[in-house]
Amino acid sequence: MTTVIGMTWKELMRKKVVLMTMIMTVLFIIVFSFIARILGNTAGVDSSQQLINQFMTGASIVTLGFFFGSFILAFLIIFSSFSSISGEAEISMMQSMLSRPIQRWKWYLGRWLGYTLFGIVYALVLYTAIVVIANIYATVPQSLGLHVQSFLLFALTVPLLVTVTLLGATFFSALGNGVFMTMLYGAGWLGGMVEKLSAGADMKPEMARSLYNITGMISLVMPADAIQRKMLAVMLNIDQLAGMFNVDEQMRGGMGLGQIPSATFVVYTSMYTIILFLWGMRRFYKKDF
Amino acid sequence: MSTVAIDIQQLTKEYDNGRGCRNVTISVGKGEAFGFLGPNGAGKSTLVKMLVGLTAPTSGSATLFGEPIGSLSAKQHIGYLPELYRYQEWLTGEEVVQLHSRLCGMDQSTIKPRIKQLLDQVGIGKRGTDRVKHYSKGMQQRLGMACALVNDPPILFLDEPSSALDPIGRLEVRALLKQLKQEGKTIFLNSHLLEEVESLCERIALLNNGEILRHGQISQVLYTQAKWRFKVAGFTPEILPWLNETSGISIERLSSTSSASTLLGGQDTVWLEAVVDNEEQVGWLNTLIVNQGMTLYHVEPVKERLEEWFMDAVSGLSHRGEQ
Repeated sequence: MTTVIGMTWKELMRKKVVLMTMIMTVLFIIVFSFIARILGNTAGVDSSQQLINQFMTGASIVTLGFFFGSFILAFLIIFSSFSSISGEAEISMMQSMLSRPIQRWKWYLGRWLGYTLFGIVYALVLYTAIVVIANIYATVPQSLGLHVQSFLLFALTVPLLVTVTLLGATFFSALGNGVFMTMLYGAGWLGGMVEKLSAGADMKPEMARSLYNITGMISLVMPADAIQRKMLAVMLNIDQLAGMFNVDEQMRGGMGLGQIPSATFVVYTSMYTIILFLWGMRRFYKKDF
Repeated sequence: MSTVAIDIQQLTKEYDNGRGCRNVTISVGKGEAFGFLGPNGAGKSTLVKMLVGLTAPTSGSATLFGEPIGSLSAKQHIGYLPELYRYQEWLTGEEVVQLHSRLCGMDQSTIKPRIKQLLDQVGIGKRGTDRVKHYSKGMQQRLGMACALVNDPPILFLDEPSSALDPIGRLEVRALLKQLKQEGKTIFLNSHLLEEVESLCERIALLNNGEILRHGQISQVLYTQAKWRFKVAGFTPEILPWLNETSGISIERLSSTSSASTLLGGQDTVWLEAVVDNEEQVGWLNTLIVNQGMTLYHVEPVKERLEEWFMDAVSGLSHRGEQ
């Protein structure tokens, strides 16, 4: 299995998608630093109101950073792994390797671990970069415990996306899987955006209920965006601040947190990932190449 | 180790679209080269994929040196070269072979000299340090051979091993296959290059629409009837019935357009073809021809080519092709 993990890492290091991601990351960090500096200069430090303003500035900066950061992370995960099974089978690469004395479940797990570990390392780098930049220009929570929790939530999207992508690769062709994953992730993101924007809109109760049902169902199928909102809520310690002032109220305009998923939703996402992983492994095990 | 390398019993794979193969029963001995022929879409690759553990059979069974197909122990015995494959283009040739050696669980401390030797053997040599994306199709095919051989397997499944190669490359692969056969490897060869099959294999099977149509020793398949040809001058049509009656041998004149020619002295020649039971009859026919005042220029046995046999076997039959 270590051979398969090593092969996956070598593939990721040498494929253009990783190079593209690195270029995007560097560009993102430069632009993000620039925007963070502009936003940071608007906040003062004198009164208690200004302290809140400074916190809100920090919250806005990290929200903006993770909004785009999660895109880059998803880009890396989806576009590096979408062709891993069906694409390899289409050019008979898989056939030459699976005829070797290796168990199929080990192959699948090796690929999954390869993509997931690589993605988590990248997520750690991205997370650290966003938090450090935000911290230079504004105040963000300094608690290590909060950062550990929020990073774990940020990184949870990595195994989730790898799992869904590998499962999709047992159903669709390489191209079809790429389209499927892009649309699925896009639907999850759109559902999250609709939920955030509608949180501040004046709507009839029945319309709001229908909208929440739809966005809720989308989140159940692709929980990545909802988990990201949960991550921000944990990092900004929204629960603790809820009694002092309405953070979400002050972050409207697409950058708010909208409905913050519960801890149960995190458990659901973890279980969802495990079940889809086992399903994908079973399909791979039974698949004729 | 068993003397039967590949034992296939009633192996069947049925797909929803009606393709696949049915009730294939073949036995291949250790050290034997077996040719597997058939039109496109006949089910040849499906059978090989079942044997190397890539596709699960619908029914039937097969073993490789007594180990059931698909098991890790069976896979230890095989090297497989798939058809129309590409390797990881982000790796170098050496890295691809090394990856396969790792997947085979080989000792990495001893593998480096073997990789170099293999790459030299298949004609890649120093280009083994180039990335695969810079390889031509022929180079990739050579790399595929190196990967198939990396674990020194006793059984080789080769699906069109020289289809992408130029004539020189084909000769080199053919020489390599002959060498491997001499080393005692069992070779299961899927190929459309019938000349390749004919030069390497002792036995063949012909698959059509997923079923074995014919099989047997190549020598029996190609020489079912002993035919001899005689190039003669001074032939007249009236002589033919007399020759047939007197000799008791079935003789016919080959069609005039293909057989007639004119010698330098202006004398016309024709080819006669006789189906004989033994070589004594050939001598008897020689005598009769000469006694009738004809001049005998050339006598030769007719060797049927595998291509003719293949065409004869599948002509008139429906075959699903690549539909």
